[in-house]
Amino acid sequence: MSGATESKAPGPYGKSSVYQGRSGQWAFVLHRITGFLVFMFLLLHVVDVSLINYRGGRLYNEVHQLYGNIFLRMFEVGLLFGLLYHALNGLRIVMIDFFPGAVRSQKNLWSIVLGLSLLGTVIGGVIIVKPFFTGS
Amino acid sequence: MSIPVQERAVGRRPRQNFETWSWFFMRVSGLVLVFLALAHFSITHLVHDVTKTNSGFVSTRWNNPLWRIFDWSLLALGLMHGVNGVRMITDDYVRSPGKRAATKAVLYGATFTMFMYGTFTIVSFTPYHGH
Repeated sequence: MSGATESKAPGPYGKSSVYQGRSGQWAFVLHRITGFLVFMFLLLHVVDVSLINYRGGRLYNEVHQLYGNIFLRMFEVGLLFGLLYHALNGLRIVMIDFFPGAVRSQKNLWSIVLGLSLLGTVIGGVIIVKPFFTGS
Repeated sequence: MSIPVQERAVGRRPRQNFETWSWFFMRVSGLVLVFLALAHFSITHLVHDVTKTNSGFVSTRWNNPLWRIFDWSLLALGLMHGVNGVRMITDDYVRSPGKRAATKAVLYGATFTMFMYGTFTIVSFTPYHGH
């Protein structure tokens, strides 16, 4: 077999390009997705903060009030999860890179990363969403 | 005459190309960003409610040049860390050379524009009176 057909030959993990959905694959995929989305948000955030310099800050304030509605508060909770997961999983990657022995416990480390990210998102999420209902 | 393999392996470090520095930069900037990004999010969403972070809040904060340096560092490091990450994603998924070049042109253009625009916002802001 050669040429075009070669790329369709089964690899060590079968025809799929993912390695059977093991935890390392999901850690990697989630790292990419959260990183990409946080970067997209950063580009948007530069624009919304820049409004501070127009009409004495009034334009900024008008747009900024939108962040208080429930949909954008949910969006902020999502952003918190993205930041927490990317930060904690990044620390896990750094740990494995600089202390190669840590690779033996990478799976447990990932469980800790995911657990702390979800815990932080729930706690932070309550703090972020609550003022919408209590009005403070 | 060939150089003994063992001497080469022991006596010389591996070549350090762009990707080596890219790898190192992602680790170092990532460690700094864990602190900068999470502190920033905590201040603007957890310590203060998002509706309270109006132009007066920004003015009070940016009256202190240290907060402008903090925010600019977050802007610069965040954009550099992010653009390098998306560059790697592009290399992985955009295989055709033409499309890859076009994707990177848009990526670098947008990042540079946002870096200049964000820097301009932070530098040119004049705090309101009464602080």
